[in-house]
Amino acid sequence: MAAFIATYGFLIVSMVLAAILALSLYLPLMAGQLSLASPGFYAMGGYIGAILATKVFTGAGGLYPVKWVLVEMAAAGLASGLLAVVVGVPALRLRGIFLAFATIAFVEILRVLSLNLDITGGAIGIFGIPQPFATQFGYMWIAAPLLIVSMAFVYRLERIRVGRAFIAIREDELAADAMGVNPTRYKVLAFALSAVLAGVAGALSAHFYNTWNSRQGTFDLGVSLMAFVLIGGSRTFLGPVVGGLALTALPEVLRSVADIGGLPGWLAQFLRDGRLIIYGLLIAVGTVFFPHGLITPAFLTRRSHRAQSTSSGGQTS
Amino acid sequence: MTRAEAGNGCLAVETMTCRFGGLVAVNEVSFSVQEGEIFGLIGPNGAGKTTLFNLITGLTPPTGGRLRYRGRDITNLPPHRVAAAGIARTFQNIRLFGDLSALDNVMIARHARTRSGVFAGVFGMAGAPDEERATRRRALELLELVGLADRAHEGARGFPYGDQRRLEIARALALEPDLLLLDEPAAGMNPNEKRGLSDLIRAVRSQFDLTVVLIEHNVPLVMGLCDRVAVLDFGQLIALGDPTEVQNDPAVIEAYLGD
Amino acid sequence: MTRTLLLQQVLNGLAIGSVYAIFALGYTLIFSVLRIINFAQGAVFTLGAYFTYALTGSRFGFNGLLRNAAVPLRLPFILALLGGAVLAGISGVLVERFAFRPLRARGADPLLTLVSSLGVAVALVNVIQYLFGAEMYAYPSDPFGHWPAAVNFGTASEPILVRSIQVMIFGVSMIMVALLTLLMNMTRTGKALRAVAEDPVTASLLGINTGRLIVFTFFVSGFLGGVAGTLVGLSVSIAGPYFGISFGLKGLAVIVLGGLGDIPGAVLGGLVIGLAEAFVPSQYIAYREAVPFALLFIVLLVRPQGLLGRAVVQKV
Repeated sequence: MAAFIATYGFLIVSMVLAAILALSLYLPLMAGQLSLASPGFYAMGGYIGAILATKVFTGAGGLYPVKWVLVEMAAAGLASGLLAVVVGVPALRLRGIFLAFATIAFVEILRVLSLNLDITGGAIGIFGIPQPFATQFGYMWIAAPLLIVSMAFVYRLERIRVGRAFIAIREDELAADAMGVNPTRYKVLAFALSAVLAGVAGALSAHFYNTWNSRQGTFDLGVSLMAFVLIGGSRTFLGPVVGGLALTALPEVLRSVADIGGLPGWLAQFLRDGRLIIYGLLIAVGTVFFPHGLITPAFLTRRSHRAQSTSSGGQTS
Repeated sequence: MTRAEAGNGCLAVETMTCRFGGLVAVNEVSFSVQEGEIFGLIGPNGAGKTTLFNLITGLTPPTGGRLRYRGRDITNLPPHRVAAAGIARTFQNIRLFGDLSALDNVMIARHARTRSGVFAGVFGMAGAPDEERATRRRALELLELVGLADRAHEGARGFPYGDQRRLEIARALALEPDLLLLDEPAAGMNPNEKRGLSDLIRAVRSQFDLTVVLIEHNVPLVMGLCDRVAVLDFGQLIALGDPTEVQNDPAVIEAYLGD
Repeated sequence: MTRTLLLQQVLNGLAIGSVYAIFALGYTLIFSVLRIINFAQGAVFTLGAYFTYALTGSRFGFNGLLRNAAVPLRLPFILALLGGAVLAGISGVLVERFAFRPLRARGADPLLTLVSSLGVAVALVNVIQYLFGAEMYAYPSDPFGHWPAAVNFGTASEPILVRSIQVMIFGVSMIMVALLTLLMNMTRTGKALRAVAEDPVTASLLGINTGRLIVFTFFVSGFLGGVAGTLVGLSVSIAGPYFGISFGLKGLAVIVLGGLGDIPGAVLGGLVIGLAEAFVPSQYIAYREAVPFALLFIVLLVRPQGLLGRAVVQKV
């Protein structure tokens, strides 16, 4: 068991972080908005965490205190939420592909800024970010609760007034408006919640990955997140979580298959390095064959029905 | 503002104009709707009736004119504010939230009459759970009123056409409106269903103390149901009066039969 | 700023801009006919550059799967350019066949097509990286025979220099936009394309072979992308397959600024962005990369139909 954790600790935490980021893409999607802005807030959150940890909260010997990590995460979340409102109020009047473009532009602008500001370390970034845990698996102490809380939050959200407003906007924005739902206000809310989640995940990730630079939180990450949500499922909160967990684990699984040996060299190398090729192809296939993803509400209802009928042991009503 | 204070005028449309580029969809239309009446809006296809509804509910910005609802100027309000003020509508092309259940569709329209925010709702604080229960109860009552309560959890998309229209009415009623705008509510219904619809509209008007404006093509329905009728043709008001007067107005006959 | 310096900046801007313009033409052509954004244009652009490189018989480097591979051909550059562009065009057609046609058959939302094209672009670019590695490649020098390295628009004492390849790119982009505009407005094919753009169902009912026209559009767009990729590779060298993604992203800014689907708009948008980049003050030169995206963001907020597009009225 210890050996398993030692070998796969990094992967498991990465899977959990990916699931959290996928949820952050899911939130605006609940309100019908395709926003590729999460990578930008993730990057910013990471920088906030990294800067605070390396320049402000210094002086702790040994392991970095966990409570300061939590403070950084809160700060990152707050900053992301505020920036999201400032950017979102004008940007969320845009629809469809125009909104997607605006969020892509936002991420690129942040990336160029991070490459050039002194405080972000320029092209080199920030390194030597202190570690609050002795092992990589130790990060689960924060990552796992964060994922569970986020999942619980979104689960509840889908069942209350505000969540219904999001879904109404997704289904038919004009009809929702005519039924008393203020579209801009709720789109901005969804966007802000998504930004907070991405920013918090970023601050934690900066510690986890030990260095942070402009190559974290880019367009590529946005494409990966889209793959997670598209394949996992875009109609229920479980979809992005499953997509994030599974698709992050997939390259590792393929890598082990590659190491089995007996495979032709080119295939082995593809399995090792082809993560983005696989995600890209999955996106192309997914849009055609299952645009709502694999985990849909219908899928979940069928599974729960089957579970109920098997547990009643053949007794039919 | 109570009905007495409003002086019996519920909706006042004052020289409403709507231009889309070169096309004038609504041309200086003026009329007023009295509290509690069932007011019909008829005219050939493309006369601008739905556009007028869109103007009233804020979905389309007017090029000119004013709109007054119980004395209050609502001319440039966005749709959700018009809804909150008390004007609800159904759509000519049925705009239900297809993927959602009938119950969810009606519950969504309670939005403007409820308040719990995201954190209160998620954490179950500040009266949010009670509000949720009340919303659900109210929605079920309305579904019962239109006879769809037994299918509350079915997806709206799967309902037969006539039932979808009734569902849209239940949804509009969930807004607790004082003015209900119905856009061709009887389209696609058979004569039996049309009779049921007439009864429903009358029942709803008295039960909820509403004013109703109705766009409709079916002449017998309009005759039997409406207190007064306005006729639009090419965006202009060509007749206004009680149904019998209007039916015999030569300009109206010309509009429907001419060209 | 002296007149010479000003003119030099303007010419630099036009040079940068025409590179963007030549990329954006294929992009906007597809939007004008099909109302979709084909982000895979960036990948096809890259493919064009790599195909041309291969056809000149040059050798690939150490990092990819096909390390040290070379095609046993040594075509003269202009033929390699055309060959590479044709292969890029075919790639574009294949992308349409496998990624977009199924979506079109289901009447999918343009947003879904955009998402699919993002996936295809990233997949293709990474395939190129997998095969050929991420290193820089340069075309053989003097590809068109012995040209002067630069053209002097000024005087001997106050030179205003523009590299010959940049002049060539500008010229090619102008010719391309002229040819495309002629195609769209003066030929039967162009009229048919515009009919398909208006309403594909009615167009096919009128006997227009929409399927073939769509293939044609993707071929032309891919061809243009391939030419653009090679010319850009000639101008700055091929800096790894990801330069296609980078162009794809900036290309969005170009076509939105010019007006989605507007062919002269693509060139105008490219030139405007090029000029904006050229005029960034020297102390902020590092932020030049952000200029297209800042402009994109502003245009989206202020005038989403772009400079030459018409405002779209939404029907309720």
